Amino acid sequence: MPTFDELIDLHHDEIYRYLWRLSWSPSGSDPGDTAEDLTQDTFVRAYQAFGRLRPDSNHRAWLYKIATNLARNAWSKRRWTESTEDLKVDPAAASRLEELLLTQQQRAALQAELDQLPLKQRAAVTLRYLHQLDYADIATILSCSLDSARANASWGVRRLRQTLDAKEFSL
Amino acid sequence: MTRHSSERPTAEAQLLVQLIPEPPAADLGRSHQRLLAWYRAETPTIAWCEMGTPIGRLFLAAGPGGLRRISFADSQADFLGEFEPQTRLLHDPPALAPYLDQLRGYFGGQRRAFSLRLDLSSLTDFQRAVLQAAAEIPAGQVQSYAQIARSLRKPKAARAVGQALGSNPLPIVLPCHRVIASDGGLGGYAGGLQRKRQLLTLEGATFA
Repeated sequence: MPTFDELIDLHHDEIYRYLWRLSWSPSGSDPGDTAEDLTQDTFVRAYQAFGRLRPDSNHRAWLYKIATNLARNAWSKRRWTESTEDLKVDPAAASRLEELLLTQQQRAALQAELDQLPLKQRAAVTLRYLHQLDYADIATILSCSLDSARANASWGVRRLRQTLDAKEFSL
Repeated sequence: MTRHSSERPTAEAQLLVQLIPEPPAADLGRSHQRLLAWYRAETPTIAWCEMGTPIGRLFLAAGPGGLRRISFADSQADFLGEFEPQTRLLHDPPALAPYLDQLRGYFGGQRRAFSLRLDLSSLTDFQRAVLQAAAEIPAGQVQSYAQIARSLRKPKAARAVGQALGSNPLPIVLPCHRVIASDGGLGGYAGGLQRKRQLLTLEGATFA
């Protein structure tokens, strides 16, 4: 079981990055203050509950879960979820992502789309692809099933891909 | 259920890092420092060390409020496990020098009473009253659980007195070993009856 010192040293930076990435918006203000306050709150909550945690708990996923719930409360006006069933993507038309270097115009279009994603999808995409968490952890963090964790990460990326295709950007 | 995306995480990651910028390192550092400052203020460091004595190895712990713990724990891990997991523990014998000095004097027979700053903040009022009553028994004398209960004007509380003494965080310094059964038997002791007997013998007390 790590000490609380170790918990801070091991996980502060990734929790801050996670909250910063969720707070970031192409049109919004600097996410630094929001990320910093939510990171503090995450560890204060963790501190209060630390004594009740089982030694074999997954501390990393637990911290992400607290952070996610705090973000969700802080941004109660942002959509949390939407159905992942109604988004049709033709796999054949989906853009290749390997070695894709975006033009400025493409980047702006995709950033706007990313900003429109419901928080749950954005969190799933961020956790999976930028923080390299596995789907079991993501399901814990988002308080959902394994299938839902997969679907949210997958559809989040598909929507970005769809934007690339719909705008008929040349690659 | 498609697993298409999960098979190619690197490509998605490559796309996403182009969309979401990285937080500035200075902001990350500031947040980390703020968190550590809060944690240190919230949780003062507890210094601990061990000490060899005629009654076996003791573990000691002290914080800014004074001596917090004297333990007969069997191992270092057991001792450290007695603290809340958030506690910041530091092995720091020099910080405990005043406590070690008086305990050495006591075990060497030169000291009969302690004059130390004690942190009793973790105790209930009743525990504190019981331990205070025990602390008023001079070295070389004993009292019964029932006598302590009567002195607290709770004559029926002899059993509760025994329990309060049993959870004494500062044995030896708060001399719960000087409280014995009404029939002259030793009663109980968290550190084992052998240690209780040794301490009373060291102090020259007479008991059955």
